[in-house]
Amino acid sequence: MGGVYVPSQFGILFLPLAAVQVEPGDTLRVSCRYSHIGKAENVSLYAAVGNSGTFGFDEVLHGSRTISLPEDTSWNWHEGYVDIAITTAISAGVYDLYAKINGVIPRVISPTLHDVVEVLAETPESEFGEISITDYLKV
Amino acid sequence: MAQYADIVEIAAPDQAQAGDRMDITVRIKNTYSSPIGIMVGGALEYGVSPWPGIAFPDPSTNVDAGVTHSFSGYFTMPDRKVTIHAYSYYYGADGSWHFDDEMTKVIDLAAVPDSEFGSIEIIGYARR
Repeated sequence: MGGVYVPSQFGILFLPLAAVQVEPGDTLRVSCRYSHIGKAENVSLYAAVGNSGTFGFDEVLHGSRTISLPEDTSWNWHEGYVDIAITTAISAGVYDLYAKINGVIPRVISPTLHDVVEVLAETPESEFGEISITDYLKV
Repeated sequence: MAQYADIVEIAAPDQAQAGDRMDITVRIKNTYSSPIGIMVGGALEYGVSPWPGIAFPDPSTNVDAGVTHSFSGYFTMPDRKVTIHAYSYYYGADGSWHFDDEMTKVIDLAAVPDSEFGSIEIIGYARR
């Protein structure tokens, strides 16, 4: 189960995050917070759903979005989001989630949230199994 | 040349970024043979009129003969190079403050660093 660490008067608390249920055709919106300093620039905010393992993160679906950062003369926090289209390329199951800024060589990468995306099996096309007469009377 | 209240130094960074709080110290020496009241003042020259002032929470005090007193002040760095003007005054026998000395110091605007990221975290995820 994924979660976030938050400061409190009792120290650092770990708040578990509930899994979100999605199915093919849905869009998963991933909201991020990141710290920045320096010149303004456009960068790519990227997030992926997949499986985190010993040899890295095996991405199944991903999304990216260009965000415009302002000039920050000191460290500032910004927030942004990126959408991931849930397609039939992913099978039913529970998956991990991570985000980063800029693609192949990440400038910064988030901690992985484990088991936070549950992909449901695709709802089948309309189909009938059988039909039977349950009653009959004069009207 | 100062008569009694000699400004010996403006201690401030050589450069800063716009919006930074600038803490400065103006050191003024009493060159008179006995204690006198000394006051500090300051203004910022960077192309606006009138020149904005520099805040000095404790702008005046009595200073013993031959002693140098440090006055602390602050201002917000504008978006361009600024020249600090520091002024000294002494308290005269006539009960008035008299302008005595001036010193200037230039603070350059620091270049904005290249874009850099500290950290990123996922704060939410939702089905849309």
